[in-house]
Amino acid sequence: MAEGFDIDHLAKLARLSLTAEEKALYSSQLNQILGHFEALAQADLPALSDDARVVDEAALRSDEPGPVLGSAAVTRLAPASRDGQISVPRVVDDES
Amino acid sequence: MSTPPSDWEVVIGLEVHVQLHTRAKVFASSPWGFGQEPNEQVDPVVLGLPGTLPVVNREAVEKSILFGLVVGASVPEHCSWDRKNYFYPDNPKNYQLTQKDFPVVVGGQVEIELPGASRNVMGEHKFIRIHHAHLEEDVGKLSHAGSGSLVDYNRAGVPLLEIVTEPDLRSSAEAEAFLRSLVAMITQAGVADCDMEKGQLRCDCNVSIRRRGTEKLGTRTETKNLNSISSVRDTVIYETARQIRELEAGRSITQETRGWNAELVRGYVLRDKEDAHDYRYFPDPDIPTLKISRETVTRLSALVPENLYDRQRRYIANLGLPYTAASVLVNDRALAEWFELAVAAHPANPSGIANLVANDLLRDLAASATAPVSLESCLIKPAQLAGLVKLTDEGVISKQQAKEVFTEMFTSGRDAAAIVDAKGLRQNSDTGELEKIVQEVIADPAVAKSIAEYRAGNEKAINALKGPIMKRTQGKANPVLIDQLLRKFLG
Amino acid sequence: MGEVLHTLSAGELGRRLAAGTLTSRALCEALITRFKALNETVGAFTHLDQADVLAQADASDARRKAGQGRGPLEGIPVAIKDNIAVKGQPLTCSSKMLAPLVSPYDSHVAERLRAAGAILYGRLNMDEFAMGSSTENSAIRKTFNPWDLARIPGGSSGGSAAALAAGLVPLSLGSDTGGSIRQPASHCGVVGLKPTYGLISRFGLVAFASSLDQIGPMARSIEDCELLLNALASADARDMTCFGPADRAFAPSGDAKKLRIGIPKGFLGKGVAPEVAAAVNAAVAFYRAQGCAISEVELPSSDLAVPTYYVVATAEASSNLGRYDGVRYGHRSASAGTPVEMMTASRSEGFGPEVKRRILLGTFVLSAGYADAYYVRALRARAKIRGEYLAALAGVDMLLTPTVPTPAFKVGEKASDPLQLYLEDIFTIPANLAGLPALSVPCGKSGHLPVGFHLVGAPLSEAKLLAAGRLFEAAHGFAHQQAAL
Repeated sequence: MAEGFDIDHLAKLARLSLTAEEKALYSSQLNQILGHFEALAQADLPALSDDARVVDEAALRSDEPGPVLGSAAVTRLAPASRDGQISVPRVVDDES
Repeated sequence: MSTPPSDWEVVIGLEVHVQLHTRAKVFASSPWGFGQEPNEQVDPVVLGLPGTLPVVNREAVEKSILFGLVVGASVPEHCSWDRKNYFYPDNPKNYQLTQKDFPVVVGGQVEIELPGASRNVMGEHKFIRIHHAHLEEDVGKLSHAGSGSLVDYNRAGVPLLEIVTEPDLRSSAEAEAFLRSLVAMITQAGVADCDMEKGQLRCDCNVSIRRRGTEKLGTRTETKNLNSISSVRDTVIYETARQIRELEAGRSITQETRGWNAELVRGYVLRDKEDAHDYRYFPDPDIPTLKISRETVTRLSALVPENLYDRQRRYIANLGLPYTAASVLVNDRALAEWFELAVAAHPANPSGIANLVANDLLRDLAASATAPVSLESCLIKPAQLAGLVKLTDEGVISKQQAKEVFTEMFTSGRDAAAIVDAKGLRQNSDTGELEKIVQEVIADPAVAKSIAEYRAGNEKAINALKGPIMKRTQGKANPVLIDQLLRKFLG
Repeated sequence: MGEVLHTLSAGELGRRLAAGTLTSRALCEALITRFKALNETVGAFTHLDQADVLAQADASDARRKAGQGRGPLEGIPVAIKDNIAVKGQPLTCSSKMLAPLVSPYDSHVAERLRAAGAILYGRLNMDEFAMGSSTENSAIRKTFNPWDLARIPGGSSGGSAAALAAGLVPLSLGSDTGGSIRQPASHCGVVGLKPTYGLISRFGLVAFASSLDQIGPMARSIEDCELLLNALASADARDMTCFGPADRAFAPSGDAKKLRIGIPKGFLGKGVAPEVAAAVNAAVAFYRAQGCAISEVELPSSDLAVPTYYVVATAEASSNLGRYDGVRYGHRSASAGTPVEMMTASRSEGFGPEVKRRILLGTFVLSAGYADAYYVRALRARAKIRGEYLAALAGVDMLLTPTVPTPAFKVGEKASDPLQLYLEDIFTIPANLAGLPALSVPCGKSGHLPVGFHLVGAPLSEAKLLAAGRLFEAAHGFAHQQAAL
């Protein structure tokens, strides 16, 4: 089941950079854990049903505007800001 | 320009993102609106602070259902939300709440009208199928400043309905007609304002081409984030030409995501399929599946306005309106309803009313000295306009005078009859008095020649007698009556 | 006076405050003195704003004096796990990632505690983002088991349990995703309740695995646990998964001696230490002697619980923790570069090894090509496990097992073996998967180390679980126990 496990791809998806040692360690640990998950692959399981988690419209929120933090509070939380906005390194169009 | 060379057929599917008309955001209570200072419309939930949770806005759900009803979709028993995971600085939680498997709107169709041969001629009608529409959250806005970028989360969490069509569109003209029709239906139902200047409507445009007569779809490209109808039209034209050029040069089309530069009227590659995101969708554990009650659906059904083209057909077939007037009226629900109130007050002449509404009223509303006047604040009420048309129909005033009275009504809001009386415009319809004047004029030797000609069969010669009659009545004679009297006395 | 105050129950403290023989200020001063003496040794708290605590105590005393006391928790300190938001206080989740964060808002439970007049008393250490069973994954400090300072207190709510066992505070809040309240409660000899999923609002609880997380009360006695539960449980429109009925009272109800208790077949065989088995068997014998009906029940899919849990929990966690990227709050890497590089560096610097491991695992089980084999199958297994538990609980009132197979292990002993640590949760995980209430009750010692047993009931059967706990507690000497420090 764990075939095709690609630690570099996962790290990229998860926005983590790993050292060579970390890659080796996590690869072996994840493979071990995934091996333990084999029971899931073998089990006879029912079809998916979601009925335990259904709410009716009473759970919805009314369209009443509530309080905001204000840009001063927002920028106070941020590691870097400028003119009421949060600063980040320059974003190249659709960098992925 | 908009149609590809005949041996190629273009196939277009659109994903239209519409900001729904709500006061608060879709999963948070923060207000939203255009033109606020950056990050002033942000609360802990919008900012994705640790520990915050989404709660779905009822109005956003109901506006989505209403859209579904407008396009004749089925409203599912349940809908649910999923997380679309991707990292981007404008995406506060680094996942977007959207609906992948169980959207709020499934199916439906939008009727479109293509341009006719001329302005007076109705074009072809088609139906474009809606695959589904899902309710999701908008992301923040990035702007670039020097070596860095700045993030404003005011837009983050604004309710977005993403409307996904089937690949039913076959030309840039159809894409344009679809968007116009869609916008009219959405705004007429009050689902959204679709103000493109404010970014309230944005499109992703999927384009592929195939040999005409073949079934198999070609490789498609997706051009993202088009923020006007003209950009969609231009993208289709550009992308169709580009793909034809590629294929005819023996190259193949790459499945890719593209961007659009509206200023240069040019597309560009954003990323190819190899870079496709792995969004790792899964059901959002914070939002349980929502059961949509049939009572809600029934209640919202009552809010669905008459379909724009059903209305147009009714105006033409039942009210006898010319296409031109009908098409102008139906594009604006308030105007059409105003028109219908006037018709109700004077059912005998819908065309006369439509003529004044579609021409004079719209012109004066738009040209008002200060700012354009809305229909709501307009001083003329529908019954008053009907009264004016009625006076004209009865011959109390001429059509020419009606224009003058209309202008006065528009500025004063007074009834037509009062204006006619005050201005002394009422036509003389006193048969006895007019008979006397007509006989006097006939007896005048100066018109003997015209009388002779008329009697010899020249119909138009009779008009030469009308001038002197009008002169004697200071123009107030009812022209219809004069014509009748002249013919009677001249035998 | 200060010497004994820390040994008293919240109920007794409340009675003295009400009688006017004690002020909240005196109580808080005594606890602060004890904090200063012991926190370095135990490491339960990561933060305590003493001036703020005394200001809250003075306000409470003033309310009481004005006849505006807010109920049984008025003036009583409640310590809070550092993953539950309190406005103006740190919200670090014991992570370097959130070290700079001061919460600008109150969680629902913080609001409830304020409304009840309680003193919001400091921040408790935990495994980073609640991922762990020993509190060794805290990036801030180590927490030690007050009964043996060479051992772990359990986790992830290790600070919450250790603070109680060390007499640093009478009540604490924990959170429980797979056993994070009950396991440390067992290891530290205190009472811990994971309520029915949805009974207590999660608004303001930093998410680890949203469909499993619940906030719960921890105390040194069942009575105190009830007291805190009653203050916390209420409906909250800010959490769509919360259905908690307004101000439901969870006083024990019915005749505890008539309870039907199920013992899952084969549970005691699974790596359970002999002393733990002995203590739990003694508890079973006690209930039988009291007249309770004891029967064996079948839970055939038990073996699926751990893998199911780790797939579901890590999948949700990988998404929940995506927001920590150094853009809006928290740690941002000093290394420049593109936004992707900045986010990647911030996350790599900000998260500890266990958090990274679980993010990677969760990312994998959701990724294209694997989601059906792992995530979707885990959801189906979860439904099966839930079905089996509900079926079993249709025939009995509750299920009884050990809370943890073994007593607290030594600091560092299992740190290198994540899978071994994951098995610590084998008895506690199913209640989270099935959304059921579960209670850990101290029931003896393995040597000098506390042991607890674990009760799981049907949804909203908290009152029954507490009644069973009271019956046992009244006949044994484990209530109000504290380690000698």
